[in-house]
Amino acid sequence: MSGLNQKEFEKLALPLLDPLYNFARWMCHDADEARDLVQETFAKALKALSSFQEGTNFRAWMFRILRNTFLTSRTGLERRNTVQESEEGFDDSVVSNETPELALVRRADTELVQQAIAALPAGFQEVVILADLEELKYQEIADALVIPIGTVMSRLARARNLLRQNIANALQGKKFGQKADGKRSVGAKP
Amino acid sequence: MNCEWREKIALFVDDELQPAAQEQMSAHLNGCAECTAAVAEHMALKKAVRVAANRYSAPPDLHAAIYTQLHPHARVSPWWKWGMSLACLTLVVALGFALWPGPRAKDPMVAELVDQHVIALSSPNPVDVISEDRHTVKPWFQGKLPFTFNLPELAGSNYKLLGGKLVFIGQSPGAELLYTAGGHKISVFIAEEKKGGKPPARSSTFNVKTWTQNGLQFFVVTDASDNEVTQLVSMLQEANRS
Repeated sequence: MSGLNQKEFEKLALPLLDPLYNFARWMCHDADEARDLVQETFAKALKALSSFQEGTNFRAWMFRILRNTFLTSRTGLERRNTVQESEEGFDDSVVSNETPELALVRRADTELVQQAIAALPAGFQEVVILADLEELKYQEIADALVIPIGTVMSRLARARNLLRQNIANALQGKKFGQKADGKRSVGAKP
Repeated sequence: MNCEWREKIALFVDDELQPAAQEQMSAHLNGCAECTAAVAEHMALKKAVRVAANRYSAPPDLHAAIYTQLHPHARVSPWWKWGMSLACLTLVVALGFALWPGPRAKDPMVAELVDQHVIALSSPNPVDVISEDRHTVKPWFQGKLPFTFNLPELAGSNYKLLGGKLVFIGQSPGAELLYTAGGHKISVFIAEEKKGGKPPARSSTFNVKTWTQNGLQFFVVTDASDNEVTQLVSMLQEANRS
């Protein structure tokens, strides 16, 4: 059996309004654009109710529609042109000597962590938000972002390492994305 | 760190290991301080991201827009809306004058409710069940209270449910639901109706509204204005109409 009726859709979709808007704001960096994006997502989902496959994850389905809609927007198209380069150019050596420091994370306040998340390349940011905030499984994230599950795992690992690095730098008074030698790591926003 | 389990730590923390592997990892953690420290750090980072990434809430007008999008036929003409609003306002004002006595010097029930509301305002953990979803909050009270109640659908309104907690009102168990309306917080208390009890008086500092319905006594305590509370009262009354 597949498809949803409108009542079922409302029951499942309305609790996702805040999570979808939150995700849209992180992607768009603009309140009006995020608002339009969420409205368009609901409109598209409503039209596509019959195509929803029962047994698949509804949250992942909604996030997928939101992200696909975003990628066809002006901001999304601009991002498509830059995201590939910034992620491929990410320098793994920066974090190869990762030494987990519990105290470091605990010293970071929410605002600092928000800045560290904001400084992530977009492709890393969306993976870490879907995994850690929305608690989607790797396969659901892969479905939502239309990428292989292996890419989800590697982006997640890189995102977390970059977050650690950004938090450590910020606590040492350095700018986000700055390496210990003073150079900027690729992909971090100014 | 050279432990062979090291590469599985992220999978363990993300609950992505098969149940058997998850158990093996748990057993390994009992004897490996390095992996235990790494798991603790991973979990702390995950928690920090969860808190920090939850940064934006959908604005009330987006809730309203989505509601309209889902119920396009529910639209009514502006004249009808104005007429109904005016009629409701008149009714509320008339009922207000008819039912509410003037302020009394001290009413233990109101003082108790206002105290509970102030505690909720100042507490870092104002509710025990944190959810904006009424279908999560209401079932949480099942088995904890000797009665049941309904919570209204808030889509399309300016109100947002923050959660609820168990309270004692006049030495009886009751529910406290915490809502926001703009910058104001609103506590809704629900307890079993006490037969022969006098209606509580108003508070001189907080806006208190109360009514009985289906054997339950409802109290709304807030610093928000009457206009901001009226709709929530109507929605609660509608949701609990038998």
